[in-house]
Amino acid sequence: MAAEVQVGPVAEITLRTLWVCGSALALALLAGVPIGIALGTRRFFSRALVISSVNAGMGAPPVVVGLVGAILLARSGPFGEWNLLYTPWAMVLTSTAIALPLVIGLTLAAVGSLDEEWDLQVRTLGIGRGWRLWLLVREIRMGLLAAVIAALGGILSEVGAVNMVGGNIAGETRVLTTAIMMHTSMGEFEIALDLASVLVGLMLSIALVLTWLQLSGRAR
Amino acid sequence: MSEDGVARPVALSARDLRCVRGRGRDRFELEVEQLDLNAGEVLVLLGPNGAGKSTLLRALAGLDRSAAPGAIRNGGGPVTLVFQRPTALSGTVSGNVGAALLGKGVSKAERETRIRAALARFDIEALADHDARTLSGGELRRLALARAFVLEPSVLLLDEPFDDLDAEGQRILSLDLAEAIAETSVAVAMVTHDLRRALLLADRIAVLAEGRLVQHGARDEVLLHPDTPEIANIVGMINVAHGRAARREAETSWVEIEEGFEVPTTAPLQPGTRAWIGIRPEHLKLDVGRGDGQPIGKAEVESIVSDGLAAVVTLRVRDRRFTTHLLSGRGLARRLQRGDRVSLAVHPDQVHARPVDI
Repeated sequence: MAAEVQVGPVAEITLRTLWVCGSALALALLAGVPIGIALGTRRFFSRALVISSVNAGMGAPPVVVGLVGAILLARSGPFGEWNLLYTPWAMVLTSTAIALPLVIGLTLAAVGSLDEEWDLQVRTLGIGRGWRLWLLVREIRMGLLAAVIAALGGILSEVGAVNMVGGNIAGETRVLTTAIMMHTSMGEFEIALDLASVLVGLMLSIALVLTWLQLSGRAR
Repeated sequence: MSEDGVARPVALSARDLRCVRGRGRDRFELEVEQLDLNAGEVLVLLGPNGAGKSTLLRALAGLDRSAAPGAIRNGGGPVTLVFQRPTALSGTVSGNVGAALLGKGVSKAERETRIRAALARFDIEALADHDARTLSGGELRRLALARAFVLEPSVLLLDEPFDDLDAEGQRILSLDLAEAIAETSVAVAMVTHDLRRALLLADRIAVLAEGRLVQHGARDEVLLHPDTPEIANIVGMINVAHGRAARREAETSWVEIEEGFEVPTTAPLQPGTRAWIGIRPEHLKLDVGRGDGQPIGKAEVESIVSDGLAAVVTLRVRDRRFTTHLLSGRGLARRLQRGDRVSLAVHPDQVHARPVDI
């Protein structure tokens, strides 16, 4: 008898996938947007070096990120005492590391697409720093949305890195991508396909919502 | 003290201002010993490209970090700068104007009133709900001015406010701007290449060259008595010639600029003194026998170019070129043709002359 998909575990895996992705995205945005804005608006020594690193990070192979994560979080690693390896938090941190350069890079690009004198023009209105930042975020919101889409796509489709640091432990660290990989390797293509359709459905739904937001934002 | 003898409070002053931009061969330094902007006065900054006009405006706005703290002293009240290419923030036109009041503790009702007044001042109330990013260049400039005036500034700095506008747009905007300045007693410093518009608004003129303030004074003083031939060119006194004072009769000195071609001036020059003369185009007359000015000799019409309002006539006296302005489509301007020989005349008091420093 062919293996069947059970709704309970699938729902659990899907929720975990959403939790890991959502947490990683939130962390990447919290750290990446301010860094991207600072890189875009400030001039400092070694700025070019930092931007080059960000650009390199945007194209870094996730599996390498996973490897570095595994080394850092392993018991013998510098953060071994935190006991994070093979926990969802290890997956969140690794996913954040994958998404962070994307968020920084796309935020930087959004700030760079503004008029060169944008900041000076707003400053000359005598607006305080906090309000200027608010205006800036409002101005680059389409770029930030693109960063969200790119980061989410990167995290949601990631398998190698989260497998390395999460271990694909049933009921604990199994997410949709790692589950698909596992069932495929076991020859359970039907289950793998069902999980894949859940994953694709998730991605499509999220992409649909974000695209709608993007388009309605442009029309405004 | 202003030109009209009224003491006006200083709204912003620069003392020993020094700004540095770029490095190596691109290094540019601006040094201004003293410059005051007085309430209710318009100071026009003139100078060739790269003279430092925009740098000075930015320094006055407090946007130049290389300027020493304390070099700019604000008499109190907001100082704002309208850039040459104003930026529209995303959102509506009224939202853009209102953005200037963010975080300033202005109540909602007052905010609405001020936004409406600012939009009305620059005749863009009808655009209040339009997307600011869809505005034309002229509308965007009006939006930027409304955004500046909503702050009720004590100092307004304008960088090329008439840039990219057609003639009618420039005319209307300059009138609106003149009205707004008169009503609010704001101190204005304005950079413009459009000398004609500048003269409509200017109370004082400051001339910059290579990062230095080379002349600064009341409008007519600078326009009619530039210190050097270079400044003369910048302020529109484009008929400049070098010569030697040949004789002095009563109150008039005669400066020979070509053999047998002498120009009278009321400037006191001792015979034999090397001097340069400057005549504004509107002060160089074509002598048609009406006794308007003192005849100075013959010239050949080299070209006539009209913009519909004024005809710019280029005249040749041997190897020298002179320019005069005539009203287009009237009298002489209609009859005059290239190659015509005409007589030139000037009023000696309209010929500026200075000894040449050796």
